[in-house]
This record gives sequence, structure tokens and C-alpha cells, in this order.
Amino acid sequence: MTKTSAEIKQEMVKIYVANTEYEVPSNLTIMKALEFLGWRLERGVGCRGGFCGACSTIYRLKGDHKLYTALACAAQVEDGMVIAQIPINPANKKLYNIDSLKAVPNTMLEFYPEIARCISCNTCTKACPMDIEVMDYVQAALRGDIAQAAHISFDCIMCGLCATRCPAEITQFNVGILARRLYGRYIAPKYKQLSKRVDEVEKGKYDAEISEMMKADQKAIAKLYNSRVREKD
Amino acid sequence: MVKDPYPDYMRESINKVEKTREKRVKETLDQCSPDDITDVLNKFHPDFIKEQKTNLRFGVSKGEVVPLEVAKIIETRSILDPKKVDLNKIDFDVDILIIGGGGSGANAALWAMKNGIKPENILIATKLRMGDSNTTMAQGGIQAAVREVDNPAMHYLDAFGGGHYENEPPLVRRLVKDAPFMLKWYEELGMMFDKLDSGEMEAIHGGGTSRKRMHFAKDFSGAEIMKTLRDEVFNNKIPIVEFSPAVELLKDDKGQVAGAVLLNLDSKEYIIVRAKATIITTGGFGRLHIQGFPTTNHYGATFDGCVMGYRAGAPLKLMKSVQYHPTGAAFPEQIVGLLVTEKVRGKGAQVLNKNGEQFCFPLETRDVEASLLIRECLGKGNGVVTPSGQPGLWLDSPLIDLIHGEGTVEKNFAAMVRQFGRFGVDMIKDPILIYPTLHYQNGGLTIDENAQTPIKNLYAAGEVCGGTHGSNRLMGNSLLEISVFGRAAGISAAKNAPKVILGKLTLEHVTNYNTLCNEHKVKNPPSPIIFPDYTSDKHKGRLLPTDFLT
Amino acid sequence: MYLTEKIAYYPGCTAKSYAKYMDSTSRDVMKEFGIDLVELTRWTCCGTFYGLADDNLYSQLAPIRNMIRTREDGFTDLVTTCSMCYNTLKRANLLFKTDEEKAERLNAFMYEEKNYEEDVNVWHLLEIIRDKVDIEKITRKVVNPLKGLKVAPYYGCTLVRPEEISIDSNPEKPTILTDLIFALGAEPVEDPYMTECCGSYLTVKDKHLVADRTNKIIGSMTRRGAEIIMVSCPLCQFNLDRRQKQARELNPSLPEIPVVYFTQLMALALGMDYDKLGFKEHHVDPTIVLKKRKLLGTPEKVPIKVKK
Repeated sequence: MTKTSAEIKQEMVKIYVANTEYEVPSNLTIMKALEFLGWRLERGVGCRGGFCGACSTIYRLKGDHKLYTALACAAQVEDGMVIAQIPINPANKKLYNIDSLKAVPNTMLEFYPEIARCISCNTCTKACPMDIEVMDYVQAALRGDIAQAAHISFDCIMCGLCATRCPAEITQFNVGILARRLYGRYIAPKYKQLSKRVDEVEKGKYDAEISEMMKADQKAIAKLYNSRVREKD
Repeated sequence: MVKDPYPDYMRESINKVEKTREKRVKETLDQCSPDDITDVLNKFHPDFIKEQKTNLRFGVSKGEVVPLEVAKIIETRSILDPKKVDLNKIDFDVDILIIGGGGSGANAALWAMKNGIKPENILIATKLRMGDSNTTMAQGGIQAAVREVDNPAMHYLDAFGGGHYENEPPLVRRLVKDAPFMLKWYEELGMMFDKLDSGEMEAIHGGGTSRKRMHFAKDFSGAEIMKTLRDEVFNNKIPIVEFSPAVELLKDDKGQVAGAVLLNLDSKEYIIVRAKATIITTGGFGRLHIQGFPTTNHYGATFDGCVMGYRAGAPLKLMKSVQYHPTGAAFPEQIVGLLVTEKVRGKGAQVLNKNGEQFCFPLETRDVEASLLIRECLGKGNGVVTPSGQPGLWLDSPLIDLIHGEGTVEKNFAAMVRQFGRFGVDMIKDPILIYPTLHYQNGGLTIDENAQTPIKNLYAAGEVCGGTHGSNRLMGNSLLEISVFGRAAGISAAKNAPKVILGKLTLEHVTNYNTLCNEHKVKNPPSPIIFPDYTSDKHKGRLLPTDFLT
Repeated sequence: MYLTEKIAYYPGCTAKSYAKYMDSTSRDVMKEFGIDLVELTRWTCCGTFYGLADDNLYSQLAPIRNMIRTREDGFTDLVTTCSMCYNTLKRANLLFKTDEEKAERLNAFMYEEKNYEEDVNVWHLLEIIRDKVDIEKITRKVVNPLKGLKVAPYYGCTLVRPEEISIDSNPEKPTILTDLIFALGAEPVEDPYMTECCGSYLTVKDKHLVADRTNKIIGSMTRRGAEIIMVSCPLCQFNLDRRQKQARELNPSLPEIPVVYFTQLMALALGMDYDKLGFKEHHVDPTIVLKKRKLLGTPEKVPIKVKK
């Protein structure tokens, strides 16, 4: 017989925040646990869904020397968690004009020469909460393989945990977005039909048809709407 | 052996889903007839529950039907006491102030810059970081009528009918006509939309579309757009103040909008920004949790822009209509409410009840689909209820790999696989549980097709506006809306701002509004609320009183 | 061509950018001898220079990680064409094999990878040519002998120093390049500077120093009549080719001389289309001297003047 939620006793775990021990329900995320403690969050919170990188968190487990990383909104509390947050990463972002860049091997090194300091220690990959092979994309950028750097880094949410841990002080996520923009602009094939359509719209090709619909009364347009044929998937 | 995240009774239901899968591959149910649509909406859509709505009692849109939660924060005093604000010391004096750092705000800033305003004369004010917005979380894609079998007129019809004919025709025209242009600009900025080797962008159906025109970047479409726009804002050195929400608009003695008062969240000081043009791009209201629904929205989606605009005399429309996304995660508990993109259904996943059976066409427009799901759970009792009491239905994600080949789910929904995977649920192997979740503000501030509100110098763009989508937005038209109208607002503001001469700054409109509230004996807490309050109840009764805000 | 053997191949960073033709000609030439150079599925920059402070194990991570990658792909032999990579990889591998404590610490640090068990052998392509292919076979496959071409072999330093990893038992007078030049039908012009350092990565910081080295090396070789220099390292190629201009500022009478990889000349001698060998990328154009010696193209391709 399945228990109702009222009958199931909520398991509690001990977490440590700012040197203080607290007891919180074990099924909460780190973010919800902080709110459980009465924190009204203003930093280290954003989409609450693992997409925006606002809630970068580092933690240890009592008795374990290793340093772990997580997104507070997406990680469940564990017994013995010692928590600290890094809401903002002091990033070295270089300024560039995408229109005047060239997608040649040296461009990445030109803007972020520090990537040559990469020693392949893989610490960035271990820190990434999105399971990205960060070292691999930095290495791809280092040897000028922009396409590979773009593809590997695609899921990056720019939370900064990699850059925080990097001994060579590289800001991986900024390298990644430069690679992706270079790829999207200069390497990926262009959508020719798109240019064509922009041109057609500019010349007013569809103006008459749309005007007609704007003037039509509800009955007429409802008729049009209900007689649409849906393209097959 | 990994522990099964699903309790026994849910696993039993999943087994039923697995049994019916083979036969369901070829099974397609019919779409709803117009009569069916009216019926299910009236009976089961949360918008149609009269007790949950009320009419605004005062203000420029008196009489407008709004959800109770909206009335609570609009019919109330400001958190700002105008008597305690010194308007003589101006902190920022700019041409254009943009309130909100999401997709529409970024577009407004960049296009204002491209139309003659120097970057140093623009200011973006945002309550969290630049880029923290609903844009970042949008997964599905952006609509644009590009393919030869498609054209903007068809797009217009889809959007207009999908909106139940309540859309503003000029807004829809601008939306569909500017779509290809914005998509092309995004390609030039370097956004990595999914493409075939020929360069053609992949396109799929969304709910209510007659042609495949949803373009996407895996399931990170919104994030890809936001990250790139934000990078451009940084590259152009457009000034930004983060963690500084606007709390009230400023006007001058001639009745035109003249900027805003910001709150520095760290020092708790107020910041006076005088601006020749003010653009509101504050997004939606998901964190108001209308009717107790969980939400897909980001933390800062609290209706601030509409509240401030309303106090300044800007009208609202279509507030009666709230979009519930049919598929929000319903299990596990940690991610309840989180968006499960419509694209999952676009790729073939079917919605099933506890017996593993289909009961509706999976790609009706969002309001119809949500109502059908609610009917199946609450009306017919065929839903699954999680241990925490959340009702839900199955979304058969494993069916996608069966139809399109192994690896499709992993490739197309990497973000979602990861989100569920973090809590032990494998959406490649097992179906996921979903239920409608609060998703989008259909109504909002009224604008014309140049993103201008009826108040002089006040512009608005994005989710904060009403009228573009009628009473129901189609998937993919929101990322389009922020693009088209963000740009429209930037261009309009850039054109008009140089001609503006501002008079003496005043907060009289706020004082007057506060007086109105007193007259109506309003007892609601002050607004804008800036952030929702998720602290547990036991903390609320013991807060140390502070009086820096009213 | 039936490929009888596969060897794991480590391209190195320059092989993917400004030394593309070292990469493509190496792979094409080895195919002629039935050897398939299989690029590692994943590899990282070797670090370019062996970390001499060997209490700082960080600099050993990159080379050892590449050994692990080699094993991941199922190989026990790893070949590279870049002398810098060869030097770095081989010395790190040697440190790992001889120092048990450091080996343990490296494996412990890279806990996310499988342990490295010191079972990979690092080769330079020249060693493969000498030991696996055999110079004889090369001679037999030459269809466009580089007759009369005076080639100066240049080893640079990382291929032959330190002694433990030298590709030749006599690091002061190695013979492999000379043997190769004979096999290709050309005339080797050995030189006392052929194992002198070109200035290496100091080219980034101190171009003047590299120009000085270039002047001495090229001066010596051209005085002995060399008309083309054959190198085995992309950094040597970079320095001797691109810094000639600065070298000429120190010594205006320094003659111009093209600098090519050994695999480019091998490819030419084996009859491959010279247009695909990347000669256009060089700063000093090799086609001039090659044209003079009538060596561009196979006998079939060399245009034959028909008497009217």
C-alpha cells in the first residue's frame, strides 16, 4: 500500500553554510534549502532551471578533501555538504566586432593568448555542471580548430565554474562563445533562401495578402483559418 | 544498481505505457473541431474559472478582467514613498533607458545604437544580471516564414487564428513581416541554429502552425539567442547596471515619461535615471503563480513593468488571458513546473493517461492542449498523482527514438536529458510525467506597431506587452516577438529621443495612484514585488522591521 | 594500396594550422608503404617543450594524457612528425617509466582517466621510415628521382638531444636524413650546423636571436653548395624559412634558400602532384629551384617538348 505524502516522514540532512550547521529536508535542491533557511535570494539565482549559470556553487562533503561544483538549482542537498557560492565570475572578456573578424586558426589565440597556457590538467572539465569536455574545446581553440571548439562548447551556460578553477587562469566560457560566433558567422553554410525571402518581404511581395486579412471580418478570417491544410511532419 | 526514482505504482503505469507503444507508433488522433475547442476551453482552462478573476477597480484600464494575483499587486500602493525621494540629484542622464536585460532589452539597446544613439547615452537597468530572463530558458525555437512552401501571410493567419482573433492586426503584421529579417540578422551575429549541410535551417511544427517554420538551436534556442545578444551588448560597451530593478517610472511636469527610479539591491539606495525615452522590457509574471500553478519562468518574472507602466497611465489589455504551457515537468519534485519544450511533441512524443492510452492530438494550440490535459486529469480522473500530490500525465519520450532512430532524444534534447538525469530520471528509456505549468503572459501593456505605448516617451517590447498574440500565443512567436519589437522599440526610441525636451521631474503620478488606493481602501502589500518570496512560513512572522522602503 | 599496418598518429598543434602540409604529405607518403597513420580520436597539445622542473608534475600531464589516449584507441605505438612533440612526449614517457613515485602521482591526479601502465612507445616518423619501412623500399618506389638536387639535411636539436631519446645513436652525426636524401636520388650536403639549434620558441620573444642562428645555419649550408634545406620539425621550418628576411638584415649577402619538410620531398619523389604539396605556403618558394632542376611532376607529367 503506497504511503501518502503526509505519512512519509521527511528525511532530514545536515548541511553547513557559513560555518553553521543546519538541518534541511533531504529532497530539496541547494537553492530551495537556502530558502528553507529563510534566505530571500537576490544573488546566485536566475532561471532556477539549469540554463542561466547564475547559481554557481562549490562545496565539500564533511570528511572529504575534494572540492565539488554544482548549480544550486539543479543539485540535491547531501548529508555533510559544506556550501559556498560564486554568483559572479570576474571574467576577462575581450571586445571584438564580429563583422571584422576572420575565422582563421590564429583568431582565438589573438584574443585569448592565455589559452596557450593550458596544461591539459582537465580541471575545467571536472568542474563543468553541464558535462562538457571543456579541456577539449580549449585545446581545439588552441590549435585553431574553431568548428570543433564551437560544437563541443555549445551547451555552455557560462556559469564560470571552469574559469574559477583553472590553474592557467583561462576564462574558458569566453573562449567558447567567440568560437561559436565565429563558426555561426563564417564557417557554417549560409541559408540562401533566407536572404531571398528577406528581399521578397522588403519588396512588398506579401503586403497585399496580409492587408486583405487585416481588413477581413471575423467570420471571413475564421473561415480561412479553419480551412488551412497542415503540412505533414 | 541505480535506485528507481519512480515509486511502485508509477512504475506500474509506465509498464502500461511500454505495452501500448508499438501500436501507438502509427496511431494519430484527430484534431479538435472548433466546437470541441470552445467546449474544453470553457470547462477546463484556468482562464475560464470566474472566481479566479476580477475587474480592475481603478486606473486607466478600469474594468479590465485580470487574475486575482495580478489585481493584488496592481491595486496597491507603491513600495516607493515619493515624499522621501529627492529628484534634484540625478544619477544617470541618458537618451534611452531600457528596463529589463533580456532578449527584448538587448535588441532595443543594439538597434537604438545602430540608429544613431551613442552607446554611452543608453542605459540598461536590470534586477539580476544582464541576460537573466525568460529568453534564456526558451527551448523550442523562433518562428519565421522562410521556406518556399511558406510565407508571411500564412504565418499571419496561424498567429491570428491561434490567438482566437483577438490579436491587434498591425502588431501581427509587423511580427510576421520582420521575422525573416531578424532571423537573418541572428545568423550574421553568429548564432548556431541547427542547419542541414546545404545551409538550410532545420524547421519543425509548433502547436497551431500550418507550416514547419520553427527554427531552433538544439533545445537551447533561447539561450543561444540571449548569450549572443548579450555578447554583442558587452562588445559595444553599452552601459548596464545590474541588480538594480526599476521601481517606478518618472514623469515630468508635462505628463511625459522621463526615466525611472531604480533600487540598488546592495546599498538599498535609490538611483534617479533621467531619460528622453524609456523602454520597458521586463518580461512576464510567472512568479506570481496564478492559481497556484508552478511556473517555467525565471526568478524575476514578477510583472514589475506592467505595474510601473499602469501607475504612469499606460493601459493594459488581454490580461484575462494567461498561457499555461501544456507540458511542464510534474516529477521529480525538485523540477516541478520546469519547461518540457513543445518540440518533444513536435518530434513525435504522445501524451498518455495512466493506462498508457492517447486521448488527444498532441499538438493543439497551447490553451486547447492544456485544457485537454487538465480535463483528462481532473475531469476524468485518468491522470497519475505523484507522492507530493501533483497530478500528471505521461509524455512518451522513448517513442521519439523509435520513430526517428536511436540517439534522437539525446541529440535534440540534451539540456532536458541532463535536467531529468540529475535526479535519476532517464527520459530516453522511460516516459516523463508532465502537467500544465504557468508559462506566458498573453496580455500586458498596449503598444502600436512601433512599440510605442500611448504615453509619450514610453515604449515597451516583449512579453510585457499585450495584443501581438491575442488570447493565446503560438510556440516560437515569443522569441520572435522579443526580436521584432525589441528592435522596433530601439528604432522608435532612437528616432524620437533627440527631439525630446524634458521638464521638471516628478513622481506625482505615483502619489496620485497611492491616493486612489487609499480611497478604495486597498489592503494589499505594496508593489512592485521585485522577487517572489519562497522562504518557509515560519520565517515570515519574525522579520526585523526596516523602513527604507515605505 | 592495401594497408598492412596501422599506427597511432599524433599530429601536434601546428599540423592543423600552419604546418598542414607536413601532416598531409606524411600521411600520403606512409600510405605508399602500407602504413596507415591513424590520428588519435582525442588528443591535446603536448605542451611544446618538456617541463624541465620535474618536481612540477603539471607539465607532464599533457604528454601522459596523450599516452592514455593512445591506449584508449587500442594502440601501443605512437608516431609524430613534429620533433618538438617527439621530444616532449618521449621524455615524459621516459620519466614515467623510470620514476615510479611520479608515475603514481600522475595517475592519481588524472583519476577520471584509466591508469597509464607505461606501455606506449613514442616514435618520430623518421624512425618508422628507417626501422619499419627500410630505406631500400623507398629507393625502389621513387619514380621522380630528385637528380642533381643539392639537399642539406637539418635535424635541429630536439630530435637528437638529450642522448636518452636521440633518434640516432650518434647524436653529433646522425645519418637518417642523409640516407633518405640518397634514396630519393638527390645529393646530400652535410654540414656542421645540421644539429645546431635554430632558436626554437625564442622566435616569439627574440627574433633577432633566431635571425642570428638562421644566418649562421643557412650561411654554412649555402657555402657548401646546398640549394634546398630538408627539415624534420615545423618550428625549424618556421624559423629557417620565415626569419630569412631578418637574417638578411644582419648579413645582406645571405642567399635565399627554400626550406621543406622531408615528407614533402619524399612525396615529390614518389610522384605525387606537386600542386598538392603545399609549396605555395612557404615564404621562400621551393618551386623555383625545383623547376630549375626539372623536378616538378612525374615523368608522365613533365611536359615533353615535341619537335615540330
